[in-house]
Amino acid sequence: MVVLDSPRLWNRLQRKLAKKVKKKTEESTSTHVKQLKNFEAKKEEIEIPEPRLNWMGITREWGVKVLPGEKGLTLGSLNVGVYGEIPTTWSDRGRNPRGAIASGARLPLAISVQDKADLWANSAATLYEEAIQRRWIPATDIPWDQLAPLPDDIEHAICQVCTELMQYANTDIEVITNWQHKMAYGYHEVKQYLATASFDGARRYEAFRKRALSNGGGLGLESTCQVNRVLLESTGGWTETVATWVFNRLLFALTICRYLERFAYNEAEIKLYQYVGQDLARILSYGIDHLHYAMNADPEKRASVGISITIGDAFLVRDLRDPVLKEALSIIFGAGINGVNKDGLDTFYEMLDTYVKEYLELCAWLKLDRKLEQMPTIFQADKRKR
Amino acid sequence: MSRAKLSFPSVEWFNAVRKEFNTDEEFHRRGAGHCNCVAGVKVGDDVFVLTFEGQECTSVEQSGELALADADFYMSMDAVDWQEMLANISKHGHAVGDYTLNTLDLNRFDGLATSVHGDQFREDMFFRFNQTLQFFFDASSRIDTRFG
Repeated sequence: MVVLDSPRLWNRLQRKLAKKVKKKTEESTSTHVKQLKNFEAKKEEIEIPEPRLNWMGITREWGVKVLPGEKGLTLGSLNVGVYGEIPTTWSDRGRNPRGAIASGARLPLAISVQDKADLWANSAATLYEEAIQRRWIPATDIPWDQLAPLPDDIEHAICQVCTELMQYANTDIEVITNWQHKMAYGYHEVKQYLATASFDGARRYEAFRKRALSNGGGLGLESTCQVNRVLLESTGGWTETVATWVFNRLLFALTICRYLERFAYNEAEIKLYQYVGQDLARILSYGIDHLHYAMNADPEKRASVGISITIGDAFLVRDLRDPVLKEALSIIFGAGINGVNKDGLDTFYEMLDTYVKEYLELCAWLKLDRKLEQMPTIFQADKRKR
Repeated sequence: MSRAKLSFPSVEWFNAVRKEFNTDEEFHRRGAGHCNCVAGVKVGDDVFVLTFEGQECTSVEQSGELALADADFYMSMDAVDWQEMLANISKHGHAVGDYTLNTLDLNRFDGLATSVHGDQFREDMFFRFNQTLQFFFDASSRIDTRFG
């Protein structure tokens, strides 16, 4: 090894290096100049093909000019001419956007939901616009400064419920993403709406985590939630998954949030539950609209939808046997452990009755043959064991 | 606050609220952007139909009971209950406690929101647009209201 401890040796090396660099640069420049001169000399002989631009004329419909209406340039308003033709089956298993021309040479995607009846909702484009336009920001739209210290039992209960609701939100994201890539591209309104719904799930997860970690508490117990498992393992059909999702999760979660708003302890929680309630109601709208469409388009679906709900009911009953959520909600509704037996538990069961009422109204409207006496006894006020 | 006292319920009162609601950007942010629905308001026997389009409440009309069939949903309470709700809003600047639309719906035996047609998709709009509806009634805190 050479030790450069002499300034003279250092300077000599630097000069040598500089010379080398200069020589290499001159050689390189000279080569480039030569190549350029050669090219100039032969330019006349080289034939550069004219761009063919033959892709330019290929379109199914040209000259489309959709103008913004009173609600702006909405997704639904673009459904004009061939772009508005929504077939009952989309046989193309590629990423071909509806109205474009399919490429012949490509590998098929793992798309299995190809019938309109299996995913469509007439409101999908509207719900997509609504999700975009009615967005909210947990970081700044909730007045977190309104949180104030709560008695330990109540804080524990709220944090436990937030822990559970975070898992609901996470499941919602994965229910959608499990199916998203299986849905045909021809029904982009549904795919786009569901993309916003999975983002809404992420926002719910964020918001409940923020509530749990911003008032002196923390996260509680992971739930064994059986409904989560049923939803995530439901692979038979999207409509059937939606049936369980609507009746055994979304409606139940919305009812919980409505009661949490009613018994909120501060303005931050009121806003949190109000915003989340709106988001849940929007997914519920998609689900209701899809079930309505699917069962009208294919009446045989009524049976599989009914079975899916019955299965979902059974797993929801198992979840309700787990005392954690019931106790936590009863503490919140009863203003503390001492109020559980006074008002808390009564309100919890009142909440269940509200859920069942909405559930049966929805069944009736969807023409699903379902009566209160057919439901598990925990849902029947006069038969349930507390 | 408007100077002249406006009587509730009346088209004039709803129009004054509508003006406050439409012109304040605060009512159109935070989860309350575009809203498209037709909402009925039933105060005792008096019926009003409110149309929401985009960011605005575009019209208020006084109608008969039959008009409720065309509304996506309607909110119904006795005059005295509406009065209590509006008094709460006036006192706090917005609804608190038992007087938010959601809580009123839960606390009342027949609920607050319902529909003539029973269409669950349309009834769900009460929950989907809850913030907008709440902000609309919260805007009434700026109106000098006379009851009866």
